[in-house]
Order: sequence, then structure tokens, then C-alpha cells
Amino acid sequence: MSGTFEINLRINGQEAVLPTTAEKSLLRFLREHNYWDVKCGCEEGDCGSCAVLLDGRAVKSCITLAAACNGREIWTNRGLGRTDELTKKLQAAFVESGAIQCGFCTCGMIIAAKHYLEQGGKADRSQIKEAISGNLCRCTGYVKIVDAVYGVALEMGTGGI
Amino acid sequence: MKNFNYINAPDLPSALEALAKPDAYLVAGGTNALVDIRAGKINDRTLVNIQGLTEFDRITLQENGRIQIGALTAISKLAASDLLAEKAPALYQAACNFADPLTRNSATIGGNLANASPAADTAPPLLALDAELLLASRFGERRLPLQEFFLGVGKTALVPGEMVLAVEFMPNSFSSFLKLGLRQAMAISIVTAAAALSLDKEGIVREFHLAFGSVGPTPLRAYNGEKAVTGTEFADPEVIKQLQEAVQLDINPIDDLRAGAGYRREMAGVLAKRAILSAGREVGQ
Repeated sequence: MSGTFEINLRINGQEAVLPTTAEKSLLRFLREHNYWDVKCGCEEGDCGSCAVLLDGRAVKSCITLAAACNGREIWTNRGLGRTDELTKKLQAAFVESGAIQCGFCTCGMIIAAKHYLEQGGKADRSQIKEAISGNLCRCTGYVKIVDAVYGVALEMGTGGI
Repeated sequence: MKNFNYINAPDLPSALEALAKPDAYLVAGGTNALVDIRAGKINDRTLVNIQGLTEFDRITLQENGRIQIGALTAISKLAASDLLAEKAPALYQAACNFADPLTRNSATIGGNLANASPAADTAPPLLALDAELLLASRFGERRLPLQEFFLGVGKTALVPGEMVLAVEFMPNSFSSFLKLGLRQAMAISIVTAAAALSLDKEGIVREFHLAFGSVGPTPLRAYNGEKAVTGTEFADPEVIKQLQEAVQLDINPIDDLRAGAGYRREMAGVLAKRAILSAGREVGQ
């Protein structure tokens, strides 16, 4: 296929038929269709601010081909925040812990944290740091982000002290 | 002006047919392709999506005792594999240290090898394990030892129209991988080393394979280093010293923004020592 063509996918629980081009990244595709919570940071796979769930797995949308998402399911932080209990808890914990300063990294951080906890991640600070190691934050120094995820992990009773 | 076409290949025959066209460019996880597209390194190509070839997204212990990993297997699957943790710790450790957890969900082992970066993290362990590649084109399949696959930076022995289907090796629990990077995640390595070892009952090294990444134009086997150790007593400090000198003949590092060539030489010796000791510790020495 060349030029502009349509792909079918589910975004935040809604069926969508939307145009893309062969080489477009999932990041640009989502932002062009008004999913502004997916942030464009480095656009080369380093910063994690564009993270989304693709068929339940956390990926960096800037290094994901939009056309290859035909028939697949995408969730962004905003959509998850409306429907998913774990994401709601993480979002509240980020606010309570002061884990947000400028907020640019937050949506990606929540996706990485949700993925970690869903994979059975424990309330373990070094493992949480590893889980968010592909997500850069230039404000907080990470301590409060780790606090927030740690708190939710403890609450989930998935381990810890 | 970017100019690309897109083809979704739902199965192997359609992938090989699409790949037979001269402008075809395979996309699996997309972690290299999207970066190269944005940087303008590739253009006027037909992107061939092969993510539908799910039969190559698996890790299998075969009846002949060999482990086969399909080219489309994500690095995160390697890092979650109990089979690899037990039977091929070198590859398991490389997967656990690969980029970051999110990138590991997308990046595939076939893509990591076919991209032929000198810093490809899965290459040294697979070289040390003496892995073999299964390649396919419209004209059939062939096998190729991995050490004959890497020809230069970004250059492989793949002929036009050919793709990597799987990688296969004999398990070796006495294998290890070490990575030196500037930080613990998302770091392109300064030096990586992988070792695979077999000892006899007297503690003599019967077979020793050593491979490096980021110290030459391709990931490489350190044959001089291997020779210095084979047939000697395991962990003999004199032999380790000879190993560290011998690997200097195997490597050809450059200065770049991550490290100088001199530092890489020094650290290749250090990692060679740690890799062999770490591989052998599993033997109960």
C-alpha cells in the first residue's frame, strides 16, 4: 500500500478506522488523531514518554509502526485512567506522592509502572527502578515516582515488607 | 520527502515473495526501522511487516537437545524464559540487560542479529554458544554458522531476498555474559563479553568459547583467547593473564563518543577474565 490508507484498530476501547501512511510511527499516528496524552519526547526510543499498551504489552509508540497495528488494541494512559482500577490507583499515587512536576514523562511512567505490576512486579525499589529504566524524567530525580509505584505495589499485596 | 510503501505479510510464503523485490525492507518489532526512517537513513522502500509470522515467535527445546529460537521472538520473552536461564545463562543475561523493559517488548532476536550492529547484545552470547542461523529465501532454506554471518557494520551474509528465520544452538549452562555501558539501562555497550565453557573431571578446560561486542566492526569470536585457555587448568591465574593478553590480538576497537580504544582494550581483558570465571563458577569450582 502506498500514499494514505486506512487501518482498523481499537483505541481505548473504541473501534476506530483511521488513515495512516506506510512509514508513520504509532506515536505520530496517535497524536494526529488527538491522543495528546501520548507525548513526543526524543522520538527515537530513548525517553519512554510515548509509551502505550499494545495488545497488553507496554511499548514505545515512536518505534512502533502504525500500519503494523492494524487489527490490534491500544490503550493510552488517559483511556486506562477512565476504566482501569490499577491505572486509577497509580495516577492517584503519583499525585499524592508529588511524583509529577512538569508532567511530561507521567503518562509513559504510568504505562511502564502498570506493565510492571501486571507482570507480578513486587514492592521492591530496585526492581521498580529497573521497570522504569526506559522512561526519563528530568524534574523529579525519580525518588517520588518510585515512592508512588512502591506504594501501589504494597497496597496490591504483591510482596514487599 | 519520505516515500514508502507498506505490505503486511501474514505468512512465510508471502513474506519471501515480498522480500524478493529489491526495495523490500523487513520490519519486525520496528525498533531499528523507525529510528532509521526518522533519521532519513532509509527511503524509497517497501516496508514488509512480518509480525504475523507467529510460528517464528517461540523458544523450543528440540528432540536433538538443541534450543531453537524463532527470529520474531521478543527479547522480553528471552528474559522471561526459565529454559534459557537454566540452559543458556549467557543469552538470558544479555536479554535481561538489553535496552529497557519497554524496548524489550518490541525488539526481536532476529532483528537484533540482522541489524548487525557491532554492539548487538544478543550476538556475543550466541557466538559463544556456537549458534547456527536458519535462513530462507524464495529459493529455499540454508543454515549458516553465526560467526560467518557478520561481515561489517550493518553488513551480513544475507543475500538479497533472504531473511533470518531462527537461531539454534546446543545449550550450555556454563556460559555467561557481561556488559559494560555508561548506565544500566538504554546504554549502547562499551564492551560486552560472553563465555561458554566445558570442563573435564580434573578441572581441565576441554572447550572454551569467548566472544566480544563493541570492540571491532562486528561482534566477534576471540579465537586467540580461546586457544590460550583450552587444555589448561580452570581459573589458573597465569592462564587468565595469558588470556587477557591473547584477546588483544582478537579485537580491533575504535575511539568513539562512548569510550576510547585504549579503554576498550583494557576492559576487554577485564571482561574476558570475569566472563570465564563467571561461566565456570556454575561448575562448582
